Amino acid sequence: MDFDFSDEQYMLRDSVRDFLTKDCTPAEIRRIWEDPTGRSPQRWKKLGEMGVLGLTLPETYGGAGMDEIDLVLVLEEAGRNLLPEPLLEHTAVGAPLLAKAGTEAQKSEWLTKAAHGDATISIGLAGAPYVQDATADVVILEENGELHAATQDRLTLTPVQSVDGARRLFKVTAELDAETRMGDANGDAAWAFDHAAAATAAQLVGVADAMLQSAIAYAKEREQFGHKIGSFQAIQHKLAETFLLVESAKSAVYYAAYALAKGLEDAPIHVSVAKAYAGDAERRANYESLQTFGGIGFTWEHDLHLWLKRGRALEAQYGDSDWHRRRIADWVYTKA
Amino acid sequence: MDFELSAEDAAFRDEIRTWLEERRELIEKTRAQTAEYGGEKALELHRVWEKELYNGGWAGVAWPKEHGGRDASLFQQALFTEEYVRARAPERINRLGLGLIGPTLMVYGTEEQKKEHLAKILSCDEIWCQGFSEPGAGSDLASLRTRAVLDGDDYVINGQKVWTSQASYADWIFVLVRTDTEAPKHKGITFIIADMKTPGIEVRPMKQINGKSGFAETFFTDVRVPAANVIDKPNNGWKVAMTTLGFERGTGLGSPMVFNRQWKELVELTKETQRYDHKASEDPDIRKRIAQGFIETRVFELTNKRVLSQLSKGKQLGPEASLSKLFWSEMEARLEELQIDTLGPRGELATGSPDGGEWFSEYLYARASMIYAGTSEIQKNIIAQRVLGLPKE
Repeated sequence: MDFDFSDEQYMLRDSVRDFLTKDCTPAEIRRIWEDPTGRSPQRWKKLGEMGVLGLTLPETYGGAGMDEIDLVLVLEEAGRNLLPEPLLEHTAVGAPLLAKAGTEAQKSEWLTKAAHGDATISIGLAGAPYVQDATADVVILEENGELHAATQDRLTLTPVQSVDGARRLFKVTAELDAETRMGDANGDAAWAFDHAAAATAAQLVGVADAMLQSAIAYAKEREQFGHKIGSFQAIQHKLAETFLLVESAKSAVYYAAYALAKGLEDAPIHVSVAKAYAGDAERRANYESLQTFGGIGFTWEHDLHLWLKRGRALEAQYGDSDWHRRRIADWVYTKA
Repeated sequence: MDFELSAEDAAFRDEIRTWLEERRELIEKTRAQTAEYGGEKALELHRVWEKELYNGGWAGVAWPKEHGGRDASLFQQALFTEEYVRARAPERINRLGLGLIGPTLMVYGTEEQKKEHLAKILSCDEIWCQGFSEPGAGSDLASLRTRAVLDGDDYVINGQKVWTSQASYADWIFVLVRTDTEAPKHKGITFIIADMKTPGIEVRPMKQINGKSGFAETFFTDVRVPAANVIDKPNNGWKVAMTTLGFERGTGLGSPMVFNRQWKELVELTKETQRYDHKASEDPDIRKRIAQGFIETRVFELTNKRVLSQLSKGKQLGPEASLSKLFWSEMEARLEELQIDTLGPRGELATGSPDGGEWFSEYLYARASMIYAGTSEIQKNIIAQRVLGLPKE
């Protein structure tokens, strides 16, 4: 038994972390907030070159042929650094979904481009009123129990504005037909939902960790009443409790990735455990980090709110913690 | 990343599982009779079971082979615990001997001390208790005041220990005493062992709020203990004690099987129990808390596996053990509270009452879990200072 990652998986995580630390700074995030498209083609291309965008796509399409376990630490880093670009929609869900359920024509049209960052795939699953990056080359939509791969000419988009200026959300109406239809919807839509929820949970852990670590660093420096505020028990206890939640959430998130990678029958339940717990952990980190920073954390100039807003937005995606608790309860009380 | 057992670990697991399975009848009989009798009779039944474990070579799997153990890795120790719990095998009655003083003697004891005690600890012919806490020294253990004064070849001990579990039937005690009142408090402490039959040692059982008397106060009045019974050196006892408490950390990791079973039984209870105007399993709040119980027990089990995986690669178990203890103790308290809440008005009925049960007693003991072996507040201090590096002052 080895509930840990391989050296190669840690190396991939480190190279993504190094790249995003330099490229995806808070200043860059603020620039993105003000930018009309809110997207950096250069960063997207670079992620393509690193092999990240098509990580789980088959090698025949230019992917790395890896799995959800290889991807999960990368998603965590995307959360930690507030990556604006749709890594979740594209890499964690859309591209592998197309590979799994698309027609031969759809696959040969888009997958190799998707692996290289020459095309972007987004997703709009049932129950989601807004689609992230609906300006993508392909938006996979769920409608009436079917999955469709829609190109821009089929879509009418109305932008909506998130308090997180790096998110680009749209209301979408679409003209869908036999040409846009992908494979069997039932199984694949659920697959997509669980992959999206698990990937969001991974990002939530990254966001939470970033906020917590910055609060810890601040508590070690900030002095009041002749002491570092990190020496006060109230602060110590908040941060210790939050740390326990975030560290524990990692266990759930990593196992959910494993369950999906191995196609375990009860993978959806493990996904729900991860999404619920990661959402709760991030919420706690969200509160305690602002509380630790105090007044300065409430200024627009301070970077904390960039994370507070992303974290809060992600909590509500693909079922919030309470929704996933309900899913678990229903499973508990209906199984034999 | 994989969750399969290695061939060696699977064989270990199968071996203990089979051994316990073959003794199912003895196990059930012991459990039934200890529940019925209590006191001396129960103790005798436990001793018989401990002998059975000893004869099978299962009494102290973590111990080195040279002292009669199996050199079991931390992971194998966890496997042993899981199988032991799965089989509902009887409570161990010499945990302090096997888990704390035995390993401490292996590190700090003289050859004489090891020869005198280790084998008897393993065979359960010598049951040990722990004399650390005092009425005035709980969380702040280093402020202890039980005094030991050198007189010829003996130390004369005067003072009082509290929360000495099993003191009423223990054969030996390991105790922290103050031997230097001038030195800074951590530097004037000596770790010494004593025969519980030594004149002057008086045990008074303490009844706890859950009605049980497993703990005691232990009074020392002019108790003469040979200086040869000091472990390591005089005034170096704090260092020895930290090693001892370090061994306790491993057990602080907790047993996922215990909590998984507790949760499953709770689910069944909600299905059977009418709570106010509807079945508990149909109450949205109960369902939410049951789901949360599932989530927390799963997260606990998974985190345990992550920690054990890292330990098996050579990482030492340090202050991270505080994370585990904090997590499982508070999780257990929530599960027990959910049980009481599920029962509604029946929750207050005592063991032995018509319609009554053990639940309230268990619930109270779960609340104690947030106090013993380091309170939750102390664990948070340890996490903050030693894991997160926040300043002490």
